[in-house]
Amino acid sequence: MTLPSLMHVESLCPICLRKLDAYMYDEDTTTYMHKECEEHGVFKTVVWRGSQLMREWIRTKERAHIPSPITPVDKGCPFDCGLCSSHRQHTCTALIEVTTRCNLNCHFCFADAQESQCEDAPLAQLRFQYESILKASGRCNIQLSGGEPTMRDDLADIVRLGVELGFAFIQVNTNGIRMAKDEAYVKVLKEAGLSSIFLQFDGIEDAVYKKLRGRALFELKCKAIENCHKYGIGVVLVPTIVPKINVDSIGDIIRFGMSKTPTVRGVHFQPVSYFGRIPKAPSDEDRITLPEVMEQICTQTNQMVSMQSMQPPGCENALCSFNGNYLIEEGVLKPVTHRTCCSTKSEKAEEGANKAKAFVARHWSYQTPVKEEKLSDWDKILSAIANNAFSLSGMAFQDAWNVNLERIKDCCIHVSTAEGKLIPFCMYNITTMDGASLYREATRVAQ
Amino acid sequence: METKIDTQIPWICDKCHQALVAQKVKVRYLEGNFEVDLLKCPTCHMVFISEDLALGKMLEVEKGLEDK
Repeated sequence: MTLPSLMHVESLCPICLRKLDAYMYDEDTTTYMHKECEEHGVFKTVVWRGSQLMREWIRTKERAHIPSPITPVDKGCPFDCGLCSSHRQHTCTALIEVTTRCNLNCHFCFADAQESQCEDAPLAQLRFQYESILKASGRCNIQLSGGEPTMRDDLADIVRLGVELGFAFIQVNTNGIRMAKDEAYVKVLKEAGLSSIFLQFDGIEDAVYKKLRGRALFELKCKAIENCHKYGIGVVLVPTIVPKINVDSIGDIIRFGMSKTPTVRGVHFQPVSYFGRIPKAPSDEDRITLPEVMEQICTQTNQMVSMQSMQPPGCENALCSFNGNYLIEEGVLKPVTHRTCCSTKSEKAEEGANKAKAFVARHWSYQTPVKEEKLSDWDKILSAIANNAFSLSGMAFQDAWNVNLERIKDCCIHVSTAEGKLIPFCMYNITTMDGASLYREATRVAQ
Repeated sequence: METKIDTQIPWICDKCHQALVAQKVKVRYLEGNFEVDLLKCPTCHMVFISEDLALGKMLEVEKGLEDK
């Protein structure tokens, strides 16, 4: 499909979070968002930059409908989140923040670790949240997040609770420090039914960790992966990519991940976004957009990975992410996916959500290796897929400067709140420059 | 119902009237290429895929390769 050179969307003011009309337009191969707040002035932010043009990336979908909306439509998007009936996509992953405590103090953290004085939610509260998710979204994938979830000694009980309620895929989002140091803890998590960890993994050099996380962590990351391997927990490496810090590490991270299969299931890149109290607006040089990450993947793997092997998502809005699915053959990533060009067909958002849920559960869980000699040809292929599958993906979180409410409406990653509401992930985390937010309880701005 | 292919009773190609023989066949799904034993007509090279295989292991492989 082709887009008009000027694309009208809605966004927010980064100073007051007032809803604004915004326009996206191209200057050569870069797409900018332009918006103006009558009180706080004009904001221009890069949203898409690189040879893969935004207008050629967009994948049209027929919207899904939320079967039992939790909140009524009142003030309009994004002020009615919960989810409301205007939301256009089901929950693929529901995220539960199990603690606000953390054992790191990262510069680029969107989680709530600053509120470390908050008490951890008791199990009864978390049961209520699981049940609320079940009621609104069924048995979607679950990610336990924080703060740092492994700060809780009863994390295995939380995993078990979810498994007992019927959630088949539970993942913990972690920096890996405790997973490295406390093998017994990893063992009980596995026994409780943990499928996978989302391991914060910014590079293979300590210099990167010192800059981003304040201390050397590479050895601990390796040990965490080793412990997950020992007990059969899948690992997804999750680098936060920050210009001038670790953009050059992309290829090394992929090669490192490939050397740790089948424990490491893939790499999920997260270009940095800007949340919380910050002294000045981020410049365009402080950002890396999805096509730039894809280009770096191709360049830094010496074209072992091609642009055509990475494709827009069928679940969330196309501008939110990319993904590619590979098999490792003789040390090389062979693509299983191949983007078809010029597709004008509209897909059903609901089907995309179902596929994405199944993909994540299948590909990001640990796969037990099987002995080849006893297998039939077809079983050998299945075994090769299980042992050698590797995924590369990336998701761009939105902040107050680049937020596009079309993407919020299409969001499939929802944060569960204490009241049992489900808030689209970016909407939950977006803050003003002063750190005030619409939906995070501790920093909520008056509306 | 017995669903296994009985190799004692030969399958005959309808077009060529030749008995199918088990051979390594290259299969491709999405961008994945594999070699598997399948019954094949020696003349026209048409391959026989039973319903069981199509809805069983083959479908499992397809799902394993499918993406989001």
